[in-house]
Amino acid sequence: MIRIEALSKRYKDATVLDGLDWRVENGGFAVITGRSGGGKTTLLSAMGGLTRPDEGRAFIDGLDIWKLSEPELASLRNRKLGFIFQFPSLMPSLNMLDNILLPIAFSGRSPNLEDRKFALSLLDMVGVGGKEELYPFQLSGGQQRRAAIARAMINSPPVLLADEPTGDLDEKTESEIMRLFQDINRQGTTIVMATHALDYVDLGKAYTLKGGRLIPYEGAEVAPAGAASRGQ
Amino acid sequence: MRQIFYLALQTLKRKRFRVWVMIGSIFLACATLFVAVALSKGISHTLQTALERLGADLVAVPAEARDEAEAALIAGSPTIFYMPAALEDRVRAAPGVERTCAQIFLRSLSAPCCDSEVSLVGFDPQRDFTIAPWVLQKLGAPLRNNQIIVGAKVISAVVGTPAKAIGQRLVFMGKPFTVGTILEPTGLGADYTVFLTMDTAYQMTNDSPLYPLPVKRDQISAIFIKLEKGAEQAAAALAIEQSIPEVKVFTANQLISSYSRQLHSLVNVLLAAGGVFCALALSLAGSLFFLSVRQRMREIGLLMAMGARKNFIFRLVLLEAVCISGAGGLLGVLLGFVAVRLGRDRMAELIGSLYMWPDPPYFFKAAGLILLAALITGGLGGLYPAWRISQTEPYEAIRRGE
Repeated sequence: MIRIEALSKRYKDATVLDGLDWRVENGGFAVITGRSGGGKTTLLSAMGGLTRPDEGRAFIDGLDIWKLSEPELASLRNRKLGFIFQFPSLMPSLNMLDNILLPIAFSGRSPNLEDRKFALSLLDMVGVGGKEELYPFQLSGGQQRRAAIARAMINSPPVLLADEPTGDLDEKTESEIMRLFQDINRQGTTIVMATHALDYVDLGKAYTLKGGRLIPYEGAEVAPAGAASRGQ
Repeated sequence: MRQIFYLALQTLKRKRFRVWVMIGSIFLACATLFVAVALSKGISHTLQTALERLGADLVAVPAEARDEAEAALIAGSPTIFYMPAALEDRVRAAPGVERTCAQIFLRSLSAPCCDSEVSLVGFDPQRDFTIAPWVLQKLGAPLRNNQIIVGAKVISAVVGTPAKAIGQRLVFMGKPFTVGTILEPTGLGADYTVFLTMDTAYQMTNDSPLYPLPVKRDQISAIFIKLEKGAEQAAAALAIEQSIPEVKVFTANQLISSYSRQLHSLVNVLLAAGGVFCALALSLAGSLFFLSVRQRMREIGLLMAMGARKNFIFRLVLLEAVCISGAGGLLGVLLGFVAVRLGRDRMAELIGSLYMWPDPPYFFKAAGLILLAALITGGLGGLYPAWRISQTEPYEAIRRGE
């Protein structure tokens, strides 16, 4: 379960998260919408151990993550969380297979044969099977995004945090990737996704981040269709 | 550890041009430093050897022939200058002088043995303490009148190895001689000199129609002086010059000082160039590396998001810096070594006969130290960017990388 308590974050004069209390049950699928620069990325980052909030707490499976030491927090990010970002996030110097296996290296062991098999099966699952030897520059944006999803899942994390995962993709690819998330969620993975794509708010429980507060999603007025959130 | 190496190398492979610029700058600095250090050590080696091999504390020569004498003693230049032999007794009587021995310098005309003229030097096998002890040691007996001792570089081009030269017959001014032995390299004019007994030298100049100016038996060219223990060279030299104005007295250090100055000025130029290259390499490689790390902030933030610890990021960035500097250092040292190998003979020609290269073990030691210095420098250069990026929050790194 993901839980945040009184989470606040300010940038200079702007309060992007204002004492948020929120929770996502295990296996849940939460969709966060909101205007560009409204704090969606900051929220995901604060609950995923990427940026320290000014106030408040965030819990993953009951662990107060901001009370963990740096190595413990890194280990939590590695084992319990999978991140998917709004930009191509594969390492350009590594081929697809090495990219997918990269998080295993941070878990303190070298990838073994089983890991390789699992990585290949993930690539198959996300629809880029057979391209494991290719480098990111040899793939389309959609293929890179699928590979990033496979990488996020290599350690079988219970939680995926997806920040605008289809931000710059065409409609067809966007739709395919959203279906992929749906499939992953059905297998029991908790997903929190920030998106501008209002067509997909019904994938899970939808919220709008507005004025630093999360409110249940009520309509499309908050985010113009097609506007890509750059996050803040 | 394998993972971090792999990741570092893959990253470096991706930024090839930038990496090669960084490697190139370090390579240039290391190569220059290697050559400068090798030269510098060669100079010390040369001067030390020269002082040891000279075998005398002072050398007195005719006052009017000081420049020619210096050239003959140091570089083996074929030149002649004479003074009365009686001066040796007066020199020997000077305060602080333990003993003396005289030598006579002859000029050889084109000898069939050798490509160019060589110096012929006569010495007294019974009294000489600069050459005679070596001869005695090598031959097991004093030099005979039909024998000669040749410097290490006199006949190598004609005869080949020293072992082949011993026992061969060489003709100087129409008189045949047997090569008794070859001197060890001295780095001094002795390397280009043929030594014979003083009696033979006098006789040759008088008998040979080829020699332009007969030398009388009461003439000598130089007096080698051994001082008493504790006597100060400069003071003794001054005292002799004051009491015997007909002679100019060189101390051993003075004899090699002009070459020392010449060699050191060359090394200073190289060291200065090395210093400039080092400064440039440091600033260029440092700036490029810092820039490179800044441009990769998003990547590094992503690694952190995937679970990389600060410590891993720190080591990764540091390793990249050390790989670059290590590669540059290794290439620099190799090129420096090749340059030294290719240039060693040319260097001797350029600087003069005096120069001697250091022994091979020194090269390896110098190479190791320069490589180590390059690695440490690279490590230090990478330290700040590595620390800085590793202290950045993952989200902040990702955001700044955008």
